[in-house]
Amino acid sequence: MPKPHKGRNVRFKAAPTTTETQRQRFADEMNRIATEQCRASFASLFEFFAPRIKAYMQQLGSDASQAEELAQEVMVTVWRKAEQYDPDKASVSTWIFRIARNRRIDAHRRTNKPDLDPEDPMLRPPEPEEPDVTFDRAQLEETVRAQLETLPPDQLSLLKAAFYQGMSHSEIAKAFDLPLGTVKSRIRLAFNRLRGQLEGEP
Amino acid sequence: MKENSTGAAFSELYSAYAAGCLDPAYALLVETQAALRQDVKQAIVVSEIIAATQLEIAEPSNMADDAVERALAAIDALEDDMGHLPRVALAGVNEAMEELLQLPQPLRDQALDAAAEDGWRFTSPGIRRLTLDMGSAAEAELYRLDAGAAVPRHTHEGSEMSLVVMGGFTDETGSFGPGELSIKGPEHIHQPVADDDGPCLVLAVRDGGLKFQGVMGLVQRFIG
Repeated sequence: MPKPHKGRNVRFKAAPTTTETQRQRFADEMNRIATEQCRASFASLFEFFAPRIKAYMQQLGSDASQAEELAQEVMVTVWRKAEQYDPDKASVSTWIFRIARNRRIDAHRRTNKPDLDPEDPMLRPPEPEEPDVTFDRAQLEETVRAQLETLPPDQLSLLKAAFYQGMSHSEIAKAFDLPLGTVKSRIRLAFNRLRGQLEGEP
Repeated sequence: MKENSTGAAFSELYSAYAAGCLDPAYALLVETQAALRQDVKQAIVVSEIIAATQLEIAEPSNMADDAVERALAAIDALEDDMGHLPRVALAGVNEAMEELLQLPQPLRDQALDAAAEDGWRFTSPGIRRLTLDMGSAAEAELYRLDAGAAVPRHTHEGSEMSLVVMGGFTDETGSFGPGELSIKGPEHIHQPVADDDGPCLVLAVRDGGLKFQGVMGLVQRFIG
């Protein structure tokens, strides 16, 4: 529950992201899909994520029926790849977002291949992930989420434009009516803060 | 222009990739670089986490009433089909093939497919290339330079990004090693020479005849 605190920015607080409890529930559901092929858990994840994936696809230019299909495919892939989900590596949201994003990039491909391609990358067996030697993903996600909470709304909207809507810095400058240099330095500042890097560090 | 590690942290190339707005050929370049460099991988992971939090708070777009049932039906259909996930049988293994097998994914699969389908093409003495089928509007090629081989002096119509995947090369602007990206535009004339200590593999992506505005123009919407 958000505690009321006397500070700036409170009234501009954007819609809250998922809570710790909610994220734990998603992880438990993923686990039940992987171990027991639990359909109820799938339906529950579907209810939360499918409409948001659809919104993501629409925002990037798909029409409603195309976006609905893409969301369907992404959720089927979630079921198929459930065993690969590792809660120590990422939250369920990040993991699912990555599948949706990959599907989105794939949709850019010119369709010069047959419709039903058994070599569809979505259907390929898992790739063993190489270990990250210099950072701990779970730790990193915790840091990023904690820092996001403290970010002023104007910085947050720039990050959203760049990292979620995929706008280039010059598009953002135009949309927010800011000088390009300001956009670049604000995004850099916010990004470095999110990765837990203090100002002045390389 | 040589991109540096500070640039790596917030480059538009990575944010566009994270958001799903990058053309597949450039996405391959980013994924390959992330496989080679921890700083790039970390920047991408952070970008993806940011995007995922925005997905969480996105205004949901209603799915059809029977959407879950449809998904479960698709799952049932797939389960019936399981058990035969084909993988490309590897064609004859030769020296260049050995090198391809050492490439990081997802570049390895792309290169093996290209080697099996069209094969290597001779470019100039000591240099050959594979054309990767990315289904992209941009052109993606994997170059193999023998140790010490020199690429003929050339310029580019549009912009070209070259990522060193193995070995290294040197041109007028500096030396490039694994994971380093060289970005060249029409204003550059250069002559890369592979380092002496072994073959050099370079993934090159160029926008060719496409009319992009500057290097970062390539991250503009490819979306229909």
